[in-house]
Amino acid sequence: MAARGSCPGCGSAALVEDAHYAQQQLVCASCGCVLAEGLLTTTYAEEEHLQGVAYSQSTGQKEQLSRCVKRGVRRVQDLCKVLQLPTIFEETAVSYFQRALQHPSFHLASLEKKELLGGCCVFVTCRQHNWPLMIGTICSLLYAKQELFASVYLSLQKELGLSVPALSLEDLVKTHLNSFQLFQHTADIPAPFLEDKEKMVARTMQIVELASETWLVTGRHPVPIVMAAAFLSWQSLQPTARLTCTFARFCKLAGVDLPPPAHLRLKELLEILLRMASQLAWLRVFNMNKKTVVKHIGDLLQHRIFLLKTAFCLEDEEEQRAVAPGEGCPGSPPAAGGAAQEQGCPSEGKRQREGGPRPLLPPCLLNPRKRLRTAALSASDSAITGDEPISDSEIEQYLRGPEEIRAFRKAKAWL
Amino acid sequence: SSFKDDLSASPQLFTPMSPYDVDLPIQTTEDVLFGSQFNQPRELPTDFSVDLSFLPDITQDNREQNLSEDGHEMQKELDGSISRNEESSIFMDENSLSYPDATQPSPEASGVCPPLTPMTPMTPVTPASESSGIVPQLQNIVSTVNLACKLDLKNIALHARNAEYNPKRFAAVIMRIREPRTTALIFSSGKMVCTGAKSEEQSRLAARKYARVVQKLGFPAKFLDFKIQNMVGSCDVRFPIRLEGLVLTHQQFSSYEPELFPGLIYRMVKPRIVLLIFVSGKVVLTGAKERSEIYEAFENIYPILKGFKKAS
Repeated sequence: MAARGSCPGCGSAALVEDAHYAQQQLVCASCGCVLAEGLLTTTYAEEEHLQGVAYSQSTGQKEQLSRCVKRGVRRVQDLCKVLQLPTIFEETAVSYFQRALQHPSFHLASLEKKELLGGCCVFVTCRQHNWPLMIGTICSLLYAKQELFASVYLSLQKELGLSVPALSLEDLVKTHLNSFQLFQHTADIPAPFLEDKEKMVARTMQIVELASETWLVTGRHPVPIVMAAAFLSWQSLQPTARLTCTFARFCKLAGVDLPPPAHLRLKELLEILLRMASQLAWLRVFNMNKKTVVKHIGDLLQHRIFLLKTAFCLEDEEEQRAVAPGEGCPGSPPAAGGAAQEQGCPSEGKRQREGGPRPLLPPCLLNPRKRLRTAALSASDSAITGDEPISDSEIEQYLRGPEEIRAFRKAKAWL
Repeated sequence: SSFKDDLSASPQLFTPMSPYDVDLPIQTTEDVLFGSQFNQPRELPTDFSVDLSFLPDITQDNREQNLSEDGHEMQKELDGSISRNEESSIFMDENSLSYPDATQPSPEASGVCPPLTPMTPMTPVTPASESSGIVPQLQNIVSTVNLACKLDLKNIALHARNAEYNPKRFAAVIMRIREPRTTALIFSSGKMVCTGAKSEEQSRLAARKYARVVQKLGFPAKFLDFKIQNMVGSCDVRFPIRLEGLVLTHQQFSSYEPELFPGLIYRMVKPRIVLLIFVSGKVVLTGAKERSEIYEAFENIYPILKGFKKAS
């Protein structure tokens, strides 16, 4: 391309614009003298006047991430490293975080919420890969209040339309027991308290499944149930040595916190086991109590399917019994066979003695808390149309008289 | 009277409009029509244009059968409310014509439900089944109304016995009346939120009483744009529910996090209602603008819940 002007060296008018390694240069075609070199700026018209290009007008702003996003992404990556998650989790969590920040509800949220948002994305990623990360863990890492975390988590689920699979109790049991310190010999753990990890995990899992079948798990926080199940399974594996150890001491030895509801879960589990024990033929002779039943947990777990059927009656049986009292106990569906039915009938006969098979219901239905129930709309209330005349006297009862106003003003001034 | 003297003593934002007059200024025609709906539910024409595909199949025989059961009352409610739906859609247009810049008044008012596109996932179709025979009970109604005049909240708190006003905590007067037992939030812009009523009519009566109190305090309060913003109902299905199972089969609608909340949060798409389902079988339904939405939502969820009754 020809350019105007003459070369200072040789005076020739043949000036060419040429690029030397992508740097624009004005070169004389005859003698090769370089007249001018290109400036290394983003090209806009103002460049000729040697003015800097404002950042807001350059293309840099669209390509770079904002400081807020960068900080948030770094936080998410740090969280993943602290939790020792695989790298693929990190990438997924970061992508969720960036997607979420584009939504106005998160873009304009407070810094506190944005911090929690990062934690939520990590939590959702873990759940989707069935990695049993607890909300309590994330909240303690972020120093966050659980209620705030809950609201951010629910709005994240809604905005991004994520489906988060439910927490798998199996994985939770394995992960939780991993942190116990009862499996290796240390100075403060007496020898009889040491336990084999595989055996304990297997038995804890069975007890947790039993709890789940008997309505102790639904709607409750999972960790206290796992703790109670772990304690019972540990005790039952060597009852003679371990029956004297309390729940609190067990948790201290294991190096794990004891959540307050765990005592209640333990009580409920023992009650279920006692009921099952009452149906086991060779245990009926013994006087079972909360301590002694622990020795037989192994047997109870082995026969749990049968024992559950006989110790507790399912809802359907109740209805059937009400409908056809003369038939005796119809028992479980006919596919279960005659054995169950035969066992069912003697338990019927024992009804008066033991108070009968208890219905299999969640504890909140078995021990309903006495709550003040607001009565349904009475007949007079439902006749209201909304357009009734309103009497002056009724309204005036809500207005202050002048003396009252003076007294109130005086009192307020005094305050 | 001495009351009037006191009013003139304190600084007024505007002249009081004869506070001892009998009743509220004429309500808009929509309100009157709306009010009469409750008195005389219209007979439904046999072919109506409302889309009822979500309801279980109710043939003519079925309907007669239902009339003799406990479902009778509910069927009538559904019919009455469907006609109300038609009317209220007409009201919306008229309202928007008269008050083009009427904005949502309060922090509690929920946004208007966006129209559904045919591509949104519907609640799974349930086989034709008899009605549940359980009627959800309304527990709380939230409504808003525009008093259409600027209010001096300090003045109201001083002159009314049943008012509390703490501007550092919240920028509105909290007023309560005994009958119907409700609470109102009254803002200085003249907008008011009324909560705690157990029926739409009660909510309207309560809102009118609050407006009368404000009138008697010397403000030219009107009663415009009364609207029910949210209705909450509850009921009991009387059997325990396996929430873990429900969240597996209805994953796209359910959220069950026992660590956060003991109940399952079910977001129904049609009608747009949020249900809180608990293991004890108690169900809370919220987010409705009409009573029929609550009944409809419960009828949709009942067969789903019954499916989990025998799954243990």
